[in-house]
Amino acid sequence: MIINVDSPILEIHDLTVSYDQSPVLWNVDLSLPAGKLIGILGPNGAGKSTLIKAIMGLIPTTGGYVKLFDRELNDVRSRISYVPQRESVDWNFPASVLDVVMMGTFGKLGLFRRPGKKEKKIAMDCLEKVGMQSFIDRQISELSGGQQQRVFIARALAQEADLYLMDEPFAGVDMATETAIFQLLQEMTAAGKTVIVVHHDIHSAMNYFDWIIMLNLHLVASGPKTQVVTEELLRKTYGGKLNLLTKVTDIIRQKDFNPLKN
Amino acid sequence: MSDFVYFFTFQDASIAFVVIGITLLGIGSAYVGTYSFLDKKALLGDAISHAVLPGICLGFMLAGEKNPIYIVTGAFLSGALATFLTSWLKSKTRLSDDAIIASILSIFFGFGVVLLTVIQKSGNPEMAGLNQFIFGNAIAILEEDLYIYGGLAILIILTLTAFRKEFSMLVFNADFGKSIGYPMGAIRLIFNVLMILAVVIGIQAIGVVLMAALLITPGAAARFWTDKLGKLLLIAGAFSAVSGIIGTYVSFIIPQMPTGPWVVVCLSLLALISFLFAPKKGVLSRFIARRYYLKKTHQDHLLKLIYHGIESGKSSFPIEEIYQSFPYRKRETKHTIDELIKTNLLTINQGFIDFTSKGKSEAKRIVRLHRLWELYLNEYMNIAPDHVHDSAEKLEHILTPELEALLENRLNYPKLDPHQENIPRDNDEL
Repeated sequence: MIINVDSPILEIHDLTVSYDQSPVLWNVDLSLPAGKLIGILGPNGAGKSTLIKAIMGLIPTTGGYVKLFDRELNDVRSRISYVPQRESVDWNFPASVLDVVMMGTFGKLGLFRRPGKKEKKIAMDCLEKVGMQSFIDRQISELSGGQQQRVFIARALAQEADLYLMDEPFAGVDMATETAIFQLLQEMTAAGKTVIVVHHDIHSAMNYFDWIIMLNLHLVASGPKTQVVTEELLRKTYGGKLNLLTKVTDIIRQKDFNPLKN
Repeated sequence: MSDFVYFFTFQDASIAFVVIGITLLGIGSAYVGTYSFLDKKALLGDAISHAVLPGICLGFMLAGEKNPIYIVTGAFLSGALATFLTSWLKSKTRLSDDAIIASILSIFFGFGVVLLTVIQKSGNPEMAGLNQFIFGNAIAILEEDLYIYGGLAILIILTLTAFRKEFSMLVFNADFGKSIGYPMGAIRLIFNVLMILAVVIGIQAIGVVLMAALLITPGAAARFWTDKLGKLLLIAGAFSAVSGIIGTYVSFIIPQMPTGPWVVVCLSLLALISFLFAPKKGVLSRFIARRYYLKKTHQDHLLKLIYHGIESGKSSFPIEEIYQSFPYRKRETKHTIDELIKTNLLTINQGFIDFTSKGKSEAKRIVRLHRLWELYLNEYMNIAPDHVHDSAEKLEHILTPELEALLENRLNYPKLDPHQENIPRDNDEL
């Protein structure tokens, strides 16, 4: 069940991604509406993070293309915010909470120019929105997992974007923080922003998301949650391995070249 | 002594020049090195510094003399080739980082030594100075060479300062930088160029073998002292400059003495001092903190012992009996009792110990925390009553008043712990 929309904010056309030899995403083709809270669901290794990274142009694609706001990525970067996985950075880096959140303003600031009062003000406001205003000067190495996620979300807010792509913002987060962050995301979509979140907990996904994408190496479903979350589609996403697809991947890996590459 | 005064008063203009030069290049390489240390690419610096040797030799062969332009260019090109090969091999093969770096390092250095031998055999009279590139000699650097090295060092420092926000992002979260449209590939390239330049300017003063130490050690040592990037760079630069100057001084007073090893010895000493004595992260302060904690634990246990005695109906506590309760720890126990008397928690009267009122409420506090925690483990974590004691024995020393209030609140101000013992409050009669 893949539901497409008119004038989508994000359109993915036949996207295929491979790491080295092995394809990790097969022919993903979907379109997403604006102003919605959208969840990407799927088991471990389903290619959820890969999809987000491919949208952001962080990894090379084997085939297909992505259009955002009906434009190329490079034309609209300032309108898009990306929140990487918390584990992808070294939190021992000598920086304060404010330093990290201020990075959100660097996109508009441009190269060379140093952040000033205006950028600091934006960063402080965003920290307040995530309830971290009293941690401004704290070293990031001293934060808990949930606090680190909030810092990342504050940094994303500081980008003042229209489309947010968040990779597992609820990993390592306690229930209270999860609820608070979800509320914040709902406020953002109510204000017309679009938020796409990689998530793995089906229960909270059912509560909060408007639109759900189900992924397991290929696109299983994409659509409003009431239409998409069915027993059959969930079984297709989570239940059982895709034996045939895994076998094809194995064959490709044993070849000296990737036949999917153009 | 007169040497010392002569050197450090800079009466000799050439000494002043050398000191300025070594300070600049020390700061420059510490600056670059700190970033690469934070980026966990310390080994790359080592590979580059060994890999510049063939370039130096080829530069010498082409020029037929020790021409700084030829040598710097040669060194830069062979360092760049090594860096490029490292990332190329990484993208094209399945070899691990350390294998690639170790191979590049030894292949380039081996080739460099071969060239050096060829030059030695050629009998070129200029050859003598070339050995300095192995271990470095700051004093022997000519003034015109210093202009080149100093100029490049200033270039490195200025570039790093101008790009500070970009380089911080490169190290902390390059993907994010890419996502906001920064040319992270180009920034990485500039950083690598600066790294090679930092090696190149150091080779004559420090030598190819030890240059990596000047890149990495200052940052690693400074990391013990601070958690702020700005301070980290300052301290690293200072460590590096001081070591550079001391190394140069040793080369000055002892003829033929290479500079590099002495710089490294100084740096290592500074690193050792940082490792041992830095506040918070140093070994000594962690040792002291642990000692203090153990002492506090013993005090708590002693107060609890008396409390439990009173609770079970005992009325007098001869000091000898307390010693026996902590077998083989008499001296420590005596010391602890003295401390507790001094802090007005216990009194002693003709060999009998008793609580002061302050001591009694402290003992109640510890027992309360112990029993509250036991109850929490039992009620909220479903741990059997006979399994909760050990954990409480450890946590009673560290639970804060905020956590105590939280526990009281969660457990609804309970009267009894899982062993049906009373949880004492401050006003309770004992």
